[in-house]
Amino acid sequence: MSTDFLELRNISKFYGNIIALTGVSTTVNPGEVTCVLGDNGAGKSTFIKILAGVHQHDEGELLLEGEEVKFNSPREALARGIATVYQDLAMVPLMSVWRNFFLGAEPKTGMWPFRQIDIDGAKRIAKEEMAKMGIDIRDTEQPVGTLSGGERQSVAIARASYFGARVLILDEPTSALGVKQSGVVLRRIVEARDQGLAVIFITHNPNHAYPVGDRFVILQRGRSLGNWAKEELSQGELTQLMAGGAELEELQHELAQAGTS
Amino acid sequence: MAEDDADAPAVADAPAGGTTDERLAHRGPIQQLLTRPEIGALLGAGGVWLLFWLVSSPFGTVGGTANFLDVAAYLGLMAVPVALLMIGGEFDLSSGAMTGATAIVLILLASDIAGAGLGLHIAVPLSLAFALAIGWFNGTLVEKTSLPSFIVTLGTFFILIGAKLGFAKLFTNKVLVEGLDEAAGYDFWNGIFGASWLRNGHIWDGRDWAWAGLLVFGGTALLLGTLELSYARRKSSNPAGIVTGLAGTVAAMAGFALLLTQDGADLVYGLLTGAGVLVGVAGWCLARYERPDQSERGVSTGFVSYFAGGIVAVVAAMVIAGLMDAENSGSLGFLGGSPGRIIFAIGMGLIGVLGVLAALGRVTPGYPAIGAALMLVPSVSFLVTIQAARTILFGGLAILGVLLLTSAAGRMRPSVVVSLITSAAIVVLAFFVQSESMSRKLRVELFSVLLLLALALAAAAVARYLSARRTSAPAPPQLGPWIRVGMIVGAVAAVVFAVSELIDGDDILYALIAGAAVGGIVAFGVYAVGTVYRTLFTSDEGVGRALVTIGIGAALLGVASRLLFITGAELEAICTLGSDDVLRCPETQFGVVVLAFLIFAAVGSWVLMRTQFGSWILAVGGNKEAARSIGVPAARTKTILFMLVSGAAWITGMLIAFRLTAVQANVGDGNEFRYIIVAVVGGNLLTGGYGSALGAGIGALIWGMISQGIGFAQWNSDWRFLVLGALLLVAVLVNNYVRGRAEKVR
Repeated sequence: MSTDFLELRNISKFYGNIIALTGVSTTVNPGEVTCVLGDNGAGKSTFIKILAGVHQHDEGELLLEGEEVKFNSPREALARGIATVYQDLAMVPLMSVWRNFFLGAEPKTGMWPFRQIDIDGAKRIAKEEMAKMGIDIRDTEQPVGTLSGGERQSVAIARASYFGARVLILDEPTSALGVKQSGVVLRRIVEARDQGLAVIFITHNPNHAYPVGDRFVILQRGRSLGNWAKEELSQGELTQLMAGGAELEELQHELAQAGTS
Repeated sequence: MAEDDADAPAVADAPAGGTTDERLAHRGPIQQLLTRPEIGALLGAGGVWLLFWLVSSPFGTVGGTANFLDVAAYLGLMAVPVALLMIGGEFDLSSGAMTGATAIVLILLASDIAGAGLGLHIAVPLSLAFALAIGWFNGTLVEKTSLPSFIVTLGTFFILIGAKLGFAKLFTNKVLVEGLDEAAGYDFWNGIFGASWLRNGHIWDGRDWAWAGLLVFGGTALLLGTLELSYARRKSSNPAGIVTGLAGTVAAMAGFALLLTQDGADLVYGLLTGAGVLVGVAGWCLARYERPDQSERGVSTGFVSYFAGGIVAVVAAMVIAGLMDAENSGSLGFLGGSPGRIIFAIGMGLIGVLGVLAALGRVTPGYPAIGAALMLVPSVSFLVTIQAARTILFGGLAILGVLLLTSAAGRMRPSVVVSLITSAAIVVLAFFVQSESMSRKLRVELFSVLLLLALALAAAAVARYLSARRTSAPAPPQLGPWIRVGMIVGAVAAVVFAVSELIDGDDILYALIAGAAVGGIVAFGVYAVGTVYRTLFTSDEGVGRALVTIGIGAALLGVASRLLFITGAELEAICTLGSDDVLRCPETQFGVVVLAFLIFAAVGSWVLMRTQFGSWILAVGGNKEAARSIGVPAARTKTILFMLVSGAAWITGMLIAFRLTAVQANVGDGNEFRYIIVAVVGGNLLTGGYGSALGAGIGALIWGMISQGIGFAQWNSDWRFLVLGALLLVAVLVNNYVRGRAEKVR
């Protein structure tokens, strides 16, 4: 049996007596997009933080290439190739694009004690990598704060893939964006997938998730409702499950009644 | 200065290279400089220096410079690390008290009169450990508790103040801790922290030649570097241009040499020099740059008003100079007495009334400023002497006029005619100053400065007329091997010189510093030679930046040679034979604090702009959570910054202790706000994430110049804090504007 690249088995996390996440299982593979859906408070953030090494799971198993792992810090997760693009983007708005791109892993040149950042090289690479994502950055000295939301997401994704990420976790990348910008980001997700990355796409919007996803995990109030491959699920079913199934049906029913009476 | 016209054809029509981005207009070197955080401070420093240089005679001398440098260095040595900490998003309110605390710890540990009697060889490292421990404590506490550093270091601040006083009284029964000079090892450590450069002991008769040569070389390199960064290189060579350039250069050099052999200024040789420079620049541009597109001719909006405004300002400056009495050192006071008081009261009332109206939304918020201006007139009028007011008004109007004329020049294409008119206006101004002024300073020095300014403007105009603007950023310079050769040769020179100094019997510290300085100068020389070679004989497009660097470097070396060395003639002139037949020579000295300050400012800005740690500082100050999540060790970065501040406080404490040998318990208390103010003046953002270490150093220079300059100008020093407070507000406004501009331009 071939092992999945990253496998979660019944992952659970407790904060004191609060059950933040329980019994979540799924698999993540290169060239696939695994979508994690859930409403506010469903446990999506906890899920990301466990994978990114910010928190550690209390129960269950996390298998990376068949080997059980537990990440103790974001650095450790990064070193194993798991990169996270957070909702607030993990960017420093007043800093230039190239500084943000290489933050924490600046390319260096020169002998100690004169080691300094290879600024010209860093600028060149940042521009090239952004061009690969289809974004033509005008000037890499530009502060990130002056970029649009979609461009900022693209910088973050380009950075993650440049630094050898094998798993890319995207935390609600489309939630703060307009329709057009969301489309740009979804295209980036597909591009990253086609480059052979494993993508975990966290969202609460089934309309964004369904077109790009290969596998869907739905969380509700800390519990996993299930783990489906794309062919097992239609978009309508996904939307229904996502909105709490029965509750939405009831609401639809009520609305229909109100319409006819 | 020719580049700051906003209406220039900004967007390039046809990008020259394949790497060009057509949406991005290439910004010339001066526009780039205008978006740096420290630009406000830099211009302010220039303005303040000019102001005091004009109104006081001792300020511009070497002695006056040593005086304000000393104040600035004590402040800047701390302000640079405080600025880095501020960029990292934190404050250290204990930094001022810590300077005194390390000094007291040192003396209490070392002295055997009232202290532990450990001797200085043990006490100096222990006091460093003490300082670093406090820095570590501050940093760790801030990080572990996530409390604002403002609160944590406020606690440390009071603890240090209390501990200083308490321990001082406990051990010595006094608030003065003394006895450093009797501690064991005093001579050795005094040789380091008490060291100073005595100018009278360094006679160098060739100094004036070196200084003049470096300035001419530096000015030339700066001019050519600016041209190189601004204009587009042509593909083919142009022999006519080369011949013209060589002819101009020869003429300029001949004229300059003849000028130097004359005692006074000679009009013919001066004209020869000026014309030679202009022809040389024209030849250089013809040989090197593309011809501009001549189709864009005409005048853009605002030209007439700028031009007329400039002429009016220059004329008004001359009228004021003619009307006001240059000799009268009495108070200006024409609004003193009851008229002044009435105007003051009206102004204050207006502020109140208009302020209320503005708050109610009846008038725009700008109106209360009228009241403020009314209050300012009588306030200022009795502070300033007629003499000084005349100089300030004349200088201010003249500068305004020249600036307006320059802007006018930028609004007309081709602008060479207007630029030449501007230059002519400056030349007229210069001769006016010369004929009319009493003091040698204005007649010779200001005269020369104005003529040089006119020449630079004219040269810029000629260059702009003959060359096409660059449309893409130049490639980075390819000076790799020259830098390496320079470093190796410099290192060898440093070792050789240091060893020879040691053999001559100089002490270790002196030999090390002198060796490092000589090595640095040699390395710089090799780099300069390499840059000149690459400029003249290769097609490397990147030499512009290198030329600007060596231009600034050569000018600074020239200034340093002037400050550090004395000529035999000069020494003879300042020495006087006293009544007791002893020759007395007023001594100018530069303490080791100045060296420490310069090193801190240079290394600090290098670290911030060029190293990984610098990126981390900007990141933790700009968005700490983001930095941490991406793998920047935020806690370690901040703790190192706190320890850097306390380490600098230790150096300052040692310098204070060895300068005074007896330290009051309250030394340094309250200085922490000065450090912060100076850092803010230098363009650092109070909320972190943006700023400049060099800016903090320049801010310290401004503070030093103002606090000493007020004394030199014999103004009433009671008003010093008023001036400094106003300066702070102006600086914050300017910095705010610059930052907004920097973000918009991009």
